[in-house]
Amino acid sequence: MASPIYSTIFKRNSVFVPTVFLAAFSFSIGFDMVTSAWWDSHNRGKQWKDIRSKYIEQEE
Amino acid sequence: MSLSITRINVLPSTRTLASGVPFANKINHSLPPQAHGHGHSAGPRTDSPPTWAQKLSGSVSVLHVNTLPNTLVFSRSFSTSSRSSAQSGSAVGGISHHATTSQRHGPTGVPDFTPYRASDTSSNRTLSYFMVGALGALGASAAKSTVSDVLSNMAASADVLALAKIEVELGAIPEGKNLIVKWRGKPVFIRHRTSDEIDEANAVDVKTLRDPQTDDDRVKKPEWLVMLGVCTHLGCVPIGEAGDYGGWFCPCHGSHYDISGRIRRGPAPLNLEIPEYDFVEDDAKLLIG
Amino acid sequence: MLSQAFPRLASRASALPRLSQVRFSSSSTQAQTPFLASRTAVFASTAATVGLTAWYAHLYGISFLPEASANTAAEDGLHPAAYPWPHKGIFETFDHASIRRGYQVYREVCSACHSLDRIAWRNLVGVSHNVDEVKAMAEEIEYTDGPNDEGEMFQRPGKLADYMPAPYPNEEAARAGNGGGLPPDLSLIVKARHGGADYIYSLLTGYVDPPPGVHVAEGMNYNPYFPGGGIAMARVLFDGLVEYDDKTPATSSQMAKDVVTFLNWAAEPEHDQRKKLGLQAAIILSSLFAISIYVKRFKWAPIKNRKIFYNPPKEAH
Repeated sequence: MASPIYSTIFKRNSVFVPTVFLAAFSFSIGFDMVTSAWWDSHNRGKQWKDIRSKYIEQEE
Repeated sequence: MSLSITRINVLPSTRTLASGVPFANKINHSLPPQAHGHGHSAGPRTDSPPTWAQKLSGSVSVLHVNTLPNTLVFSRSFSTSSRSSAQSGSAVGGISHHATTSQRHGPTGVPDFTPYRASDTSSNRTLSYFMVGALGALGASAAKSTVSDVLSNMAASADVLALAKIEVELGAIPEGKNLIVKWRGKPVFIRHRTSDEIDEANAVDVKTLRDPQTDDDRVKKPEWLVMLGVCTHLGCVPIGEAGDYGGWFCPCHGSHYDISGRIRRGPAPLNLEIPEYDFVEDDAKLLIG
Repeated sequence: MLSQAFPRLASRASALPRLSQVRFSSSSTQAQTPFLASRTAVFASTAATVGLTAWYAHLYGISFLPEASANTAAEDGLHPAAYPWPHKGIFETFDHASIRRGYQVYREVCSACHSLDRIAWRNLVGVSHNVDEVKAMAEEIEYTDGPNDEGEMFQRPGKLADYMPAPYPNEEAARAGNGGGLPPDLSLIVKARHGGADYIYSLLTGYVDPPPGVHVAEGMNYNPYFPGGGIAMARVLFDGLVEYDDKTPATSSQMAKDVVTFLNWAAEPEHDQRKKLGLQAAIILSSLFAISIYVKRFKWAPIKNRKIFYNPPKEAH
């Protein structure tokens, strides 16, 4: 009757709370990656990291 | 007319009568919802109960209500009377005659909500736990970012950090010479030591020292000795190439430091302090800080 | 009509008179006027409306009425057009190639008269130049440092921590060198001028001959975007004045766009980070809000739906 997600994660609070903190940790990293990826693709060619290579090569 | 009646909304169900019937103003629940069409004009839901509704028939109970209303709308949370509030206004302070046989909803008068119940509670429960957990996770990560941002405000600002490191050209210092540079407001001694001086520093028996430290612990490269030029006694600046041990001599109270900057004689308790430093650009430059 | 549209509201409003009725029913049987329909309420709300309107009019002038102004349009300056900057919009960063070109324009043209006090060499690193380029640029400038062991100031090449050199040692020298006009510091000029980047771009490209009848004082130049029309700064940007190292044609409008982008960056170095952080915060906070509404409804559902039953015991006769 109970779903596998419920019985593995939610049933015990001692599992639930660490799962929440682990999720918070991985979420903050993942969210940062996703938004940064979108941000960089939205502003492609405008940011310093996009044009930096041009001036490094020029120096050599 | 009938349209407007169907749109009457029942008030929030927290406001219920003592009988459990949701309170709807101007709706008389105690009247029988009989279909009319037999002559009379009054609808089933009017404020004044028609006289036939009060007719004494069948089993009759007579209730004596003597209490005055002492709260706002509903005078008591529990009532033995199954009257609706629509009648309570007229019943205040008096005696009301009431026919219990005109109930239409059973003893409690609560409608049947069975069709609204979820057939599968398991997925609902999982979803609810998931949402609670998601709220916790999002809140935790937001709180963490907030805290770390607030704490980063307390860190040194960029202009301070830009001044916190200095670079020194090592090629300008000949062997056996001192250079004094200013770093974070304090003098830093840089000595290009000769091989004789290195041997001299290594020859000292560490066990006899007040602050035992080998020369290797105090330098990254033996030919370069870098240390803070602040006497560990009371903070004077020692004089280079002076003192009984060929190192530094503090003129204030006569502390003698050797060629490795270790305290040998005098009141100072510790060796001269070593700052953080690194050799950069193929050892051509010294980065202090 | 209203009660049909908002049945809950209507039933609540009609419950209000009942409230007073029941409370005072022991002393009076007469139907009371609801408070919202009373004269006091009418007078109070009228007074509040009149007062708020008068306050607003006092602060901001009477709405929908044109205000008399002592200034003519020429004295206020021409309103600049809204230009499609690459960084216009809440998701847009600066165009850093443009910042780099703009720095070149500032260094070769503007810095002859204008200082940039709040920008240090290190600020350029990772924005428009790499570390070695900035170090090389800084070392070309001599800075006064000291005192040394002899108590004297000495000259040394610039470091990353040094701030941009000013063209004049003080304000008086700047005025003397520019016919009495003080070239403003450009660090925050985009924030400090009404119209921001649009205004400065319009000003730089807007020099024209004065129209007939307009008298421009000796040593002044006519620019319709400048309040009053007469500006001490002459037109400086002409086609081909600088040579960009990325081979962008150096038209005067291109140079103006680049230098304004650079000055906008100088005024708001946090700009890119701010917009990105704002996006992230908006996403997180709105999801938090939505989920918290769900959780609130979930937690309150049993409380909102509960019924209290009391079954009286049968009276024994």
